[in-house]
Amino acid sequence: MLGYYLQLGFRNLRRSPVLTALIILTLAVGVAASMSTLTVLYMMSGDPIPQKSARLLTLKLDNYPLDFNDTEEKLPSILTWTDVRNLREDGKGLRRTGLYGISGIVYPNKEGVKNFFADGVAVDADFFAMMDAPFVAGGAWTAAEDRSEARVAVIAKPLAEKLFGKESAIGRNLRMDSEEFRVVGVLDEWKPTPKFYRMDSGSSAGSDADDIFIPLSAALAAHRDVSGNTSCFSNADPGFEGLMRSECIWLRYWVELGSASERAEYRDYLSAYVQRQKQLGRLPRPDKSGLYNVREWLQEIEVVDDDTRLQTWLAFGFLSVCLVNTIGLLLAKFTARTAEIGVRRALGATRAQIFLQYLSEAAALGLVGSIIGVAGAFGMLHLLAKQSPDLEQYARMDPTMLATTVVLSVLAAVIAGLLPTLRATQVVPALQLKSQ
Amino acid sequence: MLQMDGVQKIYRTDLVQTYALRSLSLRVAEGEFVAVTGPSGSGKTTFLNIAGLLETFEAGSYRLDGEDVSKLSDHARSRLRNVKIGFIFQSFNLIPDLNVYDNVDVPLRYRGMAGSERKRRITEALERVGLASRHQHLPSQLSGGQQQRVAIARALAGSPRILLADEPTGNLDSLMAREVMNMLEEINTQGTTIVMVTHDPELARRVHRNIHVMDGQVSDLDQRLAA
Amino acid sequence: MEIRPILSALRHNMTGALLIATQVALTLAIISNSASVIRDRLAVAQRDSGIDAESRIITQRPILFSQIDLANLIQTDLDALRAIPGVESVTITNQVPMGRSGWSSTFATERVPTAPSQSAGLYFDGGRLLETFGLKIVEGRGFRDDEIVNIDPKVQNPPPNGVLLTRRLAEALFPGQSQFVGRIFYQGNSPDAEEMRIVGVIERFTTPWAQTGPDNEYAVVFPARYLNPFNHYVVRAAPGAEAEVRKAMEAALEKNEPGRVSVGQYSVQEMRDRRYRGERALAWLLVSVTVFLLGVTASGIVGMASLWVNLRRKQIGVRRALGATRGDIVRYFLTENLLITSAGIAIGVLAAWGLNGVLMSELSVPRLPLDYLLVGVLLMLLLGVIAVLGPALRAAQLSPALATRSV
Repeated sequence: MLGYYLQLGFRNLRRSPVLTALIILTLAVGVAASMSTLTVLYMMSGDPIPQKSARLLTLKLDNYPLDFNDTEEKLPSILTWTDVRNLREDGKGLRRTGLYGISGIVYPNKEGVKNFFADGVAVDADFFAMMDAPFVAGGAWTAAEDRSEARVAVIAKPLAEKLFGKESAIGRNLRMDSEEFRVVGVLDEWKPTPKFYRMDSGSSAGSDADDIFIPLSAALAAHRDVSGNTSCFSNADPGFEGLMRSECIWLRYWVELGSASERAEYRDYLSAYVQRQKQLGRLPRPDKSGLYNVREWLQEIEVVDDDTRLQTWLAFGFLSVCLVNTIGLLLAKFTARTAEIGVRRALGATRAQIFLQYLSEAAALGLVGSIIGVAGAFGMLHLLAKQSPDLEQYARMDPTMLATTVVLSVLAAVIAGLLPTLRATQVVPALQLKSQ
Repeated sequence: MLQMDGVQKIYRTDLVQTYALRSLSLRVAEGEFVAVTGPSGSGKTTFLNIAGLLETFEAGSYRLDGEDVSKLSDHARSRLRNVKIGFIFQSFNLIPDLNVYDNVDVPLRYRGMAGSERKRRITEALERVGLASRHQHLPSQLSGGQQQRVAIARALAGSPRILLADEPTGNLDSLMAREVMNMLEEINTQGTTIVMVTHDPELARRVHRNIHVMDGQVSDLDQRLAA
Repeated sequence: MEIRPILSALRHNMTGALLIATQVALTLAIISNSASVIRDRLAVAQRDSGIDAESRIITQRPILFSQIDLANLIQTDLDALRAIPGVESVTITNQVPMGRSGWSSTFATERVPTAPSQSAGLYFDGGRLLETFGLKIVEGRGFRDDEIVNIDPKVQNPPPNGVLLTRRLAEALFPGQSQFVGRIFYQGNSPDAEEMRIVGVIERFTTPWAQTGPDNEYAVVFPARYLNPFNHYVVRAAPGAEAEVRKAMEAALEKNEPGRVSVGQYSVQEMRDRRYRGERALAWLLVSVTVFLLGVTASGIVGMASLWVNLRRKQIGVRRALGATRGDIVRYFLTENLLITSAGIAIGVLAAWGLNGVLMSELSVPRLPLDYLLVGVLLMLLLGVIAVLGPALRAAQLSPALATRSV
């Protein structure tokens, strides 16, 4: 029976074509606008590493001078080298890594490829296992290589292809600035969205994948400049050595726990650590240190910015207007067929049958609307990505969102169809439209 | 009061031309109660539409209350309808969303009458048809006869010179029909000219004069004599 | 016009009227708030940077890799750039306005940790910065060439003895003052903060971040060349010479140190476009939402009004038979629609305020100005009238003879 109704519904699309077109268009536009912005929001607030986001933690420490007049509500999201070094040496947790952004000029030893500027990160060997970074060739460097400040590198697949073509990159040398790094691993396409491990609040950088990973120890030994924020609240001695000794903040620290339940234990350790540092005369202000898992961290640094939220709000306001409009138009479409309904009722259709039939017609409209709406959503996402490179990584529709879009628009049409359909069931049976 | 000479009305579609009225000539004197009869499709309704200024016509002339109305604009015809003509329809044509009082009020509003004057006229007209107590009711809450009485009140409220009735009893049972007919006669004795289209011979017998229309022309002998 | 009978007729078409009113209310609430956000964002994107000819100021950031004698290399680069025909002025600096990354520091008028401090963009003037960017001095003077010093990040350098700052920053540091030259302030508010003296006040100079707040004009300029490999060269091209200058600039920098890598070449105008892309994108998104909303709402009104006209064909015929002129019929539908729209607008005004309140507290959205709401109200009234006009005119064309037909 439902099949018959749907068939009728689709056939009836051709009735009052202007009204039908308006209904479909209204639905499609509403769905396109709301789904494209919702997709961005969904991708932004997505969990980049769901399998272990609860036991991957980062932290904040308050190392402001005692009387510092901080105007910001939140502590900065970066740390001093002193603290990162101490935390690494204490060795708590399953795995751990310090991290800071680097950049440099790469000299390809290859005909026809010009020198270019590349972004990367200095990390510890554990980083790759912690982040579940997938290798296509080779693997991470060893802890021993960390200790010996070895000039080794893990590079991303596109860079490997650019530098070495089809040949294996493993064991080859990569020249960055005045240093040579031996390639030990090549990462497969790896683009955690968002790039949580080095993302900062309000930062636009960090949408592109990192190309080069080198040992933190080697970067420090070579006095590699920091690519990213460095903040000092008191004077530091000049040069990189001065920076490393100073209370300036510029690194991040991530720790992986064996299980999320070890968190309380780690929290205790962190508090104890702050107390120890206080005894050494550091971290003079009250302990405001914070511990965050990946999801909490993304919230803390406000990955989803106000504008995105505003867009989503407006898009759903827009959708609601479209829904109300669809109700009105469906009402018009169904009311125009009062005579037909009266005849159907006279011929023996029950209220329930009329209800199902007209709701099916609404669903048919929703289905057509959703096809156009999905196309529209893809178009809008394309436009969004084009207008703002920062949004590019988020403006992609995955199967979940695609299914959501289709379901949403059919659901929207059915919900919008409820009232007009109920009205249609109120028509009294009659073989002929009575004059008014 | 009403004088038509050689009025011709043609309905055109892309393919055919249909003569609704070939050459209709007739006169209705002031104070008369005339019945227009004829088989269906004879042009009765078209005659009524033209007489009531609802439709225009192609040829001939039409004088209403001494005024040539053949060449009037839509606006002027609307005004004339409003002031000089009262309509009574077979299916009453009350506005379903409005209560009895407001239905009677409709033509008076279009006339731009002051509020107190309208109130007086509405009350008076409703009293005349015996429905003053029902002025808050919606048409759907009334019987057919009552609805037609409201329609009569609506037609009378504007004190028209002529009342045009289109099968006024067609949708009523005989008891109610008689009641409505009595009311029309009473109105006529009080001085209002009435032209009634009907195919009910009993009804036609009760009026002063019968005009028989056939194939868009007046076919009746005594009518031709009168002309 | 007969409002009471219309209202009573509306009572019987309540659902449709409610739908239209709801739609009008929602639309008004959304578009008035959108309009205010659009204005806010576009105004931000058009703010004066203090730079007189943004499209003629071209910056390039070559990464200098010959680390042996940076001071000398920089001077050679600058000389080569200055020699390009069509170049009016050349400078080197650590960051560019609206370039979105750069240096900032805090400044205070007392060396007391609890003293208020202002965060400001920190520019290095490697000579001729004011001239190249076309900045205006409103008090005091710019730097002389002999005041520019080289700062080596690897050694402790003496603090600059005289600096420039923007008028806005000066006013923030010294509230209520109008004369600033000769005054002393500090880089930070710690007891060992560097002391600096104001030699000139710049009318306006935006920071690399061009923040939304007034601090986008908080900047301090040091007379220095900072010897690291990441500086920006800035040239001022003569009008019409931009394209040639850009090419020649690329070539000159390549020639001085072959194989060096540049992180892009941009005019300040292009920097502005990139900086405000988000603002503009949002503004245009909102503009299209507004247009679509108006269209959707108009289509709803047209649809509903057409339906009502169709449902009341007979009634319209009767009214015409009873003496209603065409004008009366049009007026009837206009009045009816106006009543519905007005009800929607009344709710919409409240909804707009409510939505604005929520948006202000939840998101960075400005207060809704009253005139925007007013324009929104007028727009909705106009939209209602225009949308209903078509169906109303069609209704007026219906023949009064419909009254005598049975259907």
